[in-house]
Amino acid sequence: MQQPSSTSTQPTALEKVIAFVDERVGLKTLQAKMLNEPVPGGSRWAYIFGSILLFIFIMQAVTGILLMFYYVPTADHAYASTQYIIHDVDYGWFLLSYHFWGSTAMVVCVFAHMSQVFLWGAYKKPRELIWLVGLALFGLVMGFGFTGYLLPWDQRAYWATTVGVEIMDKTPVVGDFMARFLKGGPTPGQMTLSRFFVIHVMILPAALMGLAGLHIFLFRKAGPAGPFRGSVEELKVKSDYFFPRQVWKDIVGMVTVFLSICALAFWEPVVLLEEATPDPGDYHPEPEWYFLFLFQMLRLKIFAGEFGQFLGAVALPGAFMALLAALPFIDRDPERNIFKRPIALIGWIVVMATILIFTVSAIINREFLD
Amino acid sequence: MTDQESTSPVKLALKLLWFTFWTGFPIKLAFALLFLAMGIINFEARIGLGFLMVLASPVTVFALPILMIGLDSHIGEGVGIGLLFLLCIPIDIWAYGVVARTYFLDRLRLEPPDGIGLSLWIKTAIIGALYLPILWLVVGFTTETGISAAHSLFETEMLKWVPIAERIGIQLTLWGAISTAVLLIMLLIGLSIIGRVIRGATIGAQPAQDSYQRRVMRWDLMRVPADQGLMLTAFAGTGVVLSLLFWSALPVTTPHPHECCKKPEVKAQPPYKPIDALNKDEKLIVQLTAQLEALEKKKAEEEAQGKNKAKGKAGKEAAKVPDAKAPAQSEAKKP
Repeated sequence: MQQPSSTSTQPTALEKVIAFVDERVGLKTLQAKMLNEPVPGGSRWAYIFGSILLFIFIMQAVTGILLMFYYVPTADHAYASTQYIIHDVDYGWFLLSYHFWGSTAMVVCVFAHMSQVFLWGAYKKPRELIWLVGLALFGLVMGFGFTGYLLPWDQRAYWATTVGVEIMDKTPVVGDFMARFLKGGPTPGQMTLSRFFVIHVMILPAALMGLAGLHIFLFRKAGPAGPFRGSVEELKVKSDYFFPRQVWKDIVGMVTVFLSICALAFWEPVVLLEEATPDPGDYHPEPEWYFLFLFQMLRLKIFAGEFGQFLGAVALPGAFMALLAALPFIDRDPERNIFKRPIALIGWIVVMATILIFTVSAIINREFLD
Repeated sequence: MTDQESTSPVKLALKLLWFTFWTGFPIKLAFALLFLAMGIINFEARIGLGFLMVLASPVTVFALPILMIGLDSHIGEGVGIGLLFLLCIPIDIWAYGVVARTYFLDRLRLEPPDGIGLSLWIKTAIIGALYLPILWLVVGFTTETGISAAHSLFETEMLKWVPIAERIGIQLTLWGAISTAVLLIMLLIGLSIIGRVIRGATIGAQPAQDSYQRRVMRWDLMRVPADQGLMLTAFAGTGVVLSLLFWSALPVTTPHPHECCKKPEVKAQPPYKPIDALNKDEKLIVQLTAQLEALEKKKAEEEAQGKNKAKGKAGKEAAKVPDAKAPAQSEAKKP
């Protein structure tokens, strides 16, 4: 039986809703702007890290909010409430472990994203501001890791924070103020926990949302840098829109990261040590793994003493960060091909090898302490 | 010179294996996670994590069991491990096929031969099964030798003074550099062998006659079927089913480690409780004070008794001949 022709042209209920929203919000224009961004040289797996970082942050926010339903940020109850989450709350162990491994994944992806931008020469003109905002975001991610580490209030958390604050204390001019402000007393206690909690769940997320928005806005304004090799003609031929190929790659990347974090949550679920106490006992204080290289560096003889500690803990990392910030203004050569920028390539290899060697050294060093 | 001639075997193998690995990895990882949630996989620490990361890529699928048997190592327990291995095989064959076909058309401009995924997978898996144990042994031997050499170097009188932190860093750099160099050389040799096998598959292949646009469309359709709606529905449906299975299998409380794969327990010193410690110390002080008082009392009594005895003795002996040694003897009896 043939359908009347009028029914086939009649919009469905869903189409009507979409048309209603579109008329008021401009949904189709927004969609076109979001998805029809041209990607010079076509989609690539190397470009997925930015989207993955955004995805991890959203997941961290979701799991963090769920954890906050049970977590009590007081020195008396923080440890007990975390134990309660692990042992009594349904799927609480999984949420906490996902949140824990998610922070690690975020640090890894930030390193990968920064490395990609550096190696691709994507920080060069006209993308200097994107790079600078990205560096600020890197600082925020590190801040998230540092402040979140204290919250379970076990020995590991307490002593990692103590070590971190001591390192911060060595900063000239503001170090003493910052250390006192964060600790809120002579030793870490209730005030420290309250301040770290507020910074972790309010200040840093707000700052991250603002800066991430600015980062994306600047990125859309300047446009993707594209590959560092290939003529203008070749890039033009291979150019593609953000949707569907790059979106598909991003989705695959997100799924892979999500599955990896879940697998790690199963592999090594969060287990607390004893409750935090000012007596370290047999526990050898050390920071989270991504600060281990710095911690091990400070054990070197050259960084012994007050001045040495300042040099290793503040001056060198500070100078390195300043160098990174100044990079787009120092390196004005438009050449982006990493194989034609030997200093940049060697510099990146040296930095990565140093971080790797010192991190592994810190792990080996544990045997000597035990 | 054509593209297949200009591309080095190492580059050819690296590209195909890298893309194949990433094509199959998310699918295999989804199954691995499901099995972990079901509790049918229990991995040993390092090797298990390595397996989880690599998930039996086309090269390791047969090499890993051989290594485990040869070196008498234990990867873990559970039927899930075997099941995952079996699942990895068709996924790898499919991934290898998709990658090889698109690579042949797009980069090499050749018509991909029929069944290329299966034939390349068999060859690669056999090479991996033979070559990876050799690589493992060579790199393992080099690393062990490098570590012992680096250690003995720092045992010499000349370098004994080097502090621990510096020593660890230098030793690690020394043996790490040697091991990495050997590993890279061995990997290059392995990739070169696989690259030659892949190049062998190109010999009989016919050049693709289509225009560039047509070729792009063809390899696009190899990866994404023409009916995209059907594909998206299938993907979404599979995702929903897997998610439901995952949440229904996910343990509500922390899963206990299996007997075979218990991790070393990390324990900190019991917490220091200042009030308890003070109370305990106060009790101890009271107890010790009481003991001290009792001892002093006893001592005073003994002294008093000693004096009385001495007085009595002196009184008796005063009547006899006086003896100069008597006071000294009584002193010597004192505690």
